[in-house]
Amino acid sequence: MDPSLPCLLLFTLVGSVVSSFDSRHHNSTRRYGYCVLGAGPAGLQMGYFLSKANRDYIILERNSGPGSFFNKYPRHRKLISINKIHTGRRNREFNLRHDWNSLLSDKPELLFRRVSSEFYPPADAFPLYLSMFVKELGLRVQYGVDIGRIRAAQSAAGRSYILTDQHTSDYTCSVLLVATGLWVPQKVEFVGSDLVEGYESISTDPEDYRDQAVLILGKGNSAFETAQSILGRASRVHMLSSSPVRLAWQTHYVGDLRAVNNELIDTYQLKSLDGLVEARLEKIVIAQRKEQSRRRSGGGKKERKRQLYLTLKKYVHSREEKNGSDVTGEELPGHHIDNFPMRKPYDRVIRCLGFRFNFSVFDSSACPPHSENAKGRLPGVTAWYEGKDTPGLFVLGTAAHSRDYRSSAGGFIHGFRYTARAVHRVLERRYHSNRWPSTQLLTTQLQSWILKRVGEASGPYQMFEVLGDVVLLRGSHCEYLEEFPIQALPQFSSLSGREVSSHGLIVVVMQYGKKKIDYLGRSRAETDWTKAWQSNFLHPVLYYYDTLPTEEEMKLRPPGWPLPRPKAIHHMVEDFLTEWDGPISHIQPLRRFLEHCVHTDLRAFYAESCFRLSLTHRKPPQFCQQGYLKHQGVPHSGRPRQHVHDAGPAPAEQDAGTSGADPAFPNYLAPAGASMSSGLKLDL
Amino acid sequence: MEKAARGKKDIVLGYVQSLGTQEHRSMMETAYVYGSRYQFILITGGPVLKHLGVNESSHSSGVWFLHCRVHSGFMTPMTPERCPLTRMRKPLSTLSLHAFLQLMEAPLVSEVYDDPSSVQPPQFPYQQTPQVFLFSRPATEHLDLDTATALAWRLRGLALLLLVHRQSPAVRTPDEYNAAYRLPEKSSEVKYLTLHSLDEVLDIFINQEKEEEEEEEEEDEEEDDSHFGNVDDEIAATVFENRGNLLDMDSITQLTSENFHTAVAQSSLTVALFYLKWDAVSMAFLSSFIEVAELLADSEVHDVQMSAVDCGEWTDLCAAQPGSAVPFQPITAFPSVLLLRPRESAQPYRGMLGSEALHRFIMMSRADCPLLLSTQDDVTSFLQDVSHPELTGYKPDRVVGLFKTHTPTGLQVFTAAAKSLRGDVLSGLLTDGPAEKWAAGLAVDLPAVLVFPSWRTHTHPSALPASSSAEELLTHINTARLHPMPELTVENLPSFLWLGKALLILFVGEEEDEIGRRQNQALVEEMRGVVELGGWRMERYLPCWIHLGRTPAGMSVLGSYLGSMPPLPALVLTHLPSGGGVYQYPPNTPIAASSVLLWLQRVEDGAESPAGTLGEDSWPPAADFYDFLNIMDTQEADSTQQQSPKEEEEEEEDEEEVDVKEHLVSNEATHDNLDSNTHSEL
Repeated sequence: MDPSLPCLLLFTLVGSVVSSFDSRHHNSTRRYGYCVLGAGPAGLQMGYFLSKANRDYIILERNSGPGSFFNKYPRHRKLISINKIHTGRRNREFNLRHDWNSLLSDKPELLFRRVSSEFYPPADAFPLYLSMFVKELGLRVQYGVDIGRIRAAQSAAGRSYILTDQHTSDYTCSVLLVATGLWVPQKVEFVGSDLVEGYESISTDPEDYRDQAVLILGKGNSAFETAQSILGRASRVHMLSSSPVRLAWQTHYVGDLRAVNNELIDTYQLKSLDGLVEARLEKIVIAQRKEQSRRRSGGGKKERKRQLYLTLKKYVHSREEKNGSDVTGEELPGHHIDNFPMRKPYDRVIRCLGFRFNFSVFDSSACPPHSENAKGRLPGVTAWYEGKDTPGLFVLGTAAHSRDYRSSAGGFIHGFRYTARAVHRVLERRYHSNRWPSTQLLTTQLQSWILKRVGEASGPYQMFEVLGDVVLLRGSHCEYLEEFPIQALPQFSSLSGREVSSHGLIVVVMQYGKKKIDYLGRSRAETDWTKAWQSNFLHPVLYYYDTLPTEEEMKLRPPGWPLPRPKAIHHMVEDFLTEWDGPISHIQPLRRFLEHCVHTDLRAFYAESCFRLSLTHRKPPQFCQQGYLKHQGVPHSGRPRQHVHDAGPAPAEQDAGTSGADPAFPNYLAPAGASMSSGLKLDL
Repeated sequence: MEKAARGKKDIVLGYVQSLGTQEHRSMMETAYVYGSRYQFILITGGPVLKHLGVNESSHSSGVWFLHCRVHSGFMTPMTPERCPLTRMRKPLSTLSLHAFLQLMEAPLVSEVYDDPSSVQPPQFPYQQTPQVFLFSRPATEHLDLDTATALAWRLRGLALLLLVHRQSPAVRTPDEYNAAYRLPEKSSEVKYLTLHSLDEVLDIFINQEKEEEEEEEEEDEEEDDSHFGNVDDEIAATVFENRGNLLDMDSITQLTSENFHTAVAQSSLTVALFYLKWDAVSMAFLSSFIEVAELLADSEVHDVQMSAVDCGEWTDLCAAQPGSAVPFQPITAFPSVLLLRPRESAQPYRGMLGSEALHRFIMMSRADCPLLLSTQDDVTSFLQDVSHPELTGYKPDRVVGLFKTHTPTGLQVFTAAAKSLRGDVLSGLLTDGPAEKWAAGLAVDLPAVLVFPSWRTHTHPSALPASSSAEELLTHINTARLHPMPELTVENLPSFLWLGKALLILFVGEEEDEIGRRQNQALVEEMRGVVELGGWRMERYLPCWIHLGRTPAGMSVLGSYLGSMPPLPALVLTHLPSGGGVYQYPPNTPIAASSVLLWLQRVEDGAESPAGTLGEDSWPPAADFYDFLNIMDTQEADSTQQQSPKEEEEEEEDEEEVDVKEHLVSNEATHDNLDSNTHSEL
């Protein structure tokens, strides 16, 4: 283990003493430009951006250290976010594609790899990493502040949010960034739900499950993680939820069942006493059998283990009494269907249904609505993560996952570290008039720049179909904006502070194919670039619009598309190495698409060609204008190995046949025959 | 034909498969320039081919050079009644044909009295040609020469033959070797060998050729595979063709985010190329960059560190954010070259992206900037290449600042301008007493900036008006450097186009002999006369000339101006502010200053009609893009259309989905799921 870790802990300890010292002024109101609620990965990530921009901010955390969720969860203490240290590359940006735990900062070494080298790291490493992050970046975190009530106040100065902690101290903030994560266990009400244990409190000692039959409600990663840990001790593990297992390697959604947790699928398919079952939880009943318990209770043997039966609501006779958890034999499904799969009783039923957002601390004036998806477990937010109807209140981190629930990575560290950055850019624009950062490029450099981004950028790669690069075309140059939340494209100008010109814009997004295929079958990958739109794996897609799409267009976009139908679209064919640098398959088709968007020839020319084109035209092509005419021509290298069909000294004229600028073959040569003799029939 | 040409002209025989191809065009263009020197013959098939030993089905063009002009005494004995012939082995293109013809003009055998290792590598235009050395002893001198000539004939077009006289004391080659050769690519190392027969030498070069040819044939096949596969960008195509050749990066330092600061601190000058592997221009320039690095290493230049940054890998360094401060701004254009000196901000290289220009720039950059001159002798040696003897060949422009140290206002401006011209111009600084003395001699007052363009004698510098900013001074300096009647070349055209004047271009052809050379000279002089005679009226024009032999790219310019190739010399007026018309001076009228002026006046008056026009300024894409949207529309029409604006539909769908689920649960009959695709067991 890293010998510096104990020191680090000590520092953290000292740090928290100091911060609690600071917070001894009770019952006073403190004002901040920004309050970040929660010192988890999302809160700290935002804290870093605020700190770097020198903003007046505070991070409030009810526990005594950062990332306290990870002190308890996942219960079996193994993170399934990959920590790939050895990528064979030194590109920091590229390496973040395979580092799902680190947060963004300008310190190249402030990465998760410093606390763990394991591919699936232990959960304890994560709070350790967060402490290091806070310490090295000097983030302002106030621990031990438990906010119990949040309300909005409207004043002449504008809207603000007032947070009240356990000591009734108030914190007034112009902007509230809610990064509280999800930690309230999700429960489903059904008859007998009180007989069920929760993931949050079950024993993690496999010995406690020796020879027991266990029913797990849920088929997500926490359910499978639990199943996996008891597989060697329990007699039967059955898993039940309404929908079949979604495998992450089939859905490309990291929240679905990861292969690292899927051992039970193996034992199920190899018929080794475990199994998966589908049923809606609202329809089931978990109960004990009446007769049995009555008969034996008289005997005084209370130690006998209770048996839990699963039955369906429709078989259970309605009864008035509240405690309806005991059923008769006739009420069991086995009585009706003799081969009912779950006719045998269980020793335990465990609920592993995930977590929900804690709405309870929000006053009605400040409460974001429940999301339409994810069973309403999450707050509903706009495309730029502001609470719907709560201006100035933004939701960050896992709680903001309703935007890309079950599709992209917005609910996970490696995804929301980028959405946090996007939100910060929105804040900088709105409250400090700093426009969205952009890189100005010559249009002839755009192709290389796009190739650079699709080859290395981590943000659009993780947050595929959610964050995309926006290229504002301006004629001979363009502006390149990184990682804009593309659902907010209709509000692009106000959010970014940048205008779209009449030349239009290009949006570069990473996408998976939408077809359900055999993901390990022979035809899973497309290699022909002309069929790039049928790529199944992650690949770059470029959308060209002449004007910004409207909100209406965004709403009515083609099913499954991240953006409305554009003027032109370009798919770059999926690449096994995710490098997209093939001259014929990737680069040339991209160039032609860009040429189509900017209506101009973007090819590179040797100095000799530029010389000719500059003398025969008032203005040569853009490449010559931006290179050759600025004395940066590319002379044809001395080696005359240049026999290329099109690329002799006069390529433009060859190809310009289509554009009509020049004849395909220079007819002026014909009369030059003074010194030529026709030797066609010459006999020597 | 052969008989007719015997003793008078050499014949260039070209075979192309069909007319209208690139090869045909190359042939015609070359014929145009060299027409007066050689007899050109073009064939597309027939018995001649058989005679030449070509299999017509081989589908490759070819060029043969028939040496008909040579004196019979020098001829090979093989076919006395035939002219000896040489086949061009490189694929036919204008450039290769040029090189080939120039090679045909090279002396068959040169005799040297130096050791092969100290014989200069072949000079322009033969720099890409291998050299073969044979050794001669005084006793067998004639025999050796005959042997050498025989071999030279067989190597003609492949290599240059040099006969080394062993009796010279400079020759240090051990006696065990009787031959040596030097290849152009492999720096300038000479390889020695002991030959038993002449065929062995031939084998060396012919095998090499074969390898190359095979390579090319393979490439041809690949390229034919898919009609989408053609790279239509000329630079990308060159890079694509050479994709099999790995670049040897040993001669350059790889700069990374980690070693950047230490590497830059180690050398007084670090030249850093920022490149992207997928950018064809970057890769084309990278190989030139490596050439320069090798050249510097070979010429013992040790104070320059040539280095490269792979911006696909060191993205943080190229974004100027490696975690610590770097002396440059984020790189957003590729390739970029920066000159880095310890504790100084980076100087961008703004020259041509080729080895020659870069090498020159680096060599010039090594000079102090500005060089402090303290005496008149310093000035003289500065102006006469004495202070920088290694730069003599470059004919650099020079700038000298004359200042008084106690009024340093203009001095800062001058120093800033000199710094930004570093590598391009040599600059010197002379102050106080000596400066005043010299200025008095030239009748200028201090402070003064004097420009000494390379094309003018040192006694007549241009004194520049006072400048308030470095930018202004730069503009003045750059304007003063421009030749008033330049020979336009690929390299210098941008400087002159920048003036925005109408171009009065004289096109002259390759001179056949001394007479031709003198004629061309006279024409250029006559053009000068036009300037002098025209006076202020000529200010809106830039009189200039293009030598088609040195600048073959000028040929297609002329052709495109006039629609046909006029007899040379040709005088053309183009780039007029008034419009896109191109005017041709009457071809059969002698070019005389007074009549040219009259003609210009007539053009201005609108009395002449244009002989051609400039091309359009819009550059639409040369190739269509692949319209994925259209293809998706045809193949999956439903999936690409916007949804109709009824919102209820979506909700209904949702409900339907719910229904399906309910159906699954309420209908627990286990038999059902045998047919269903879900894993439901309830």
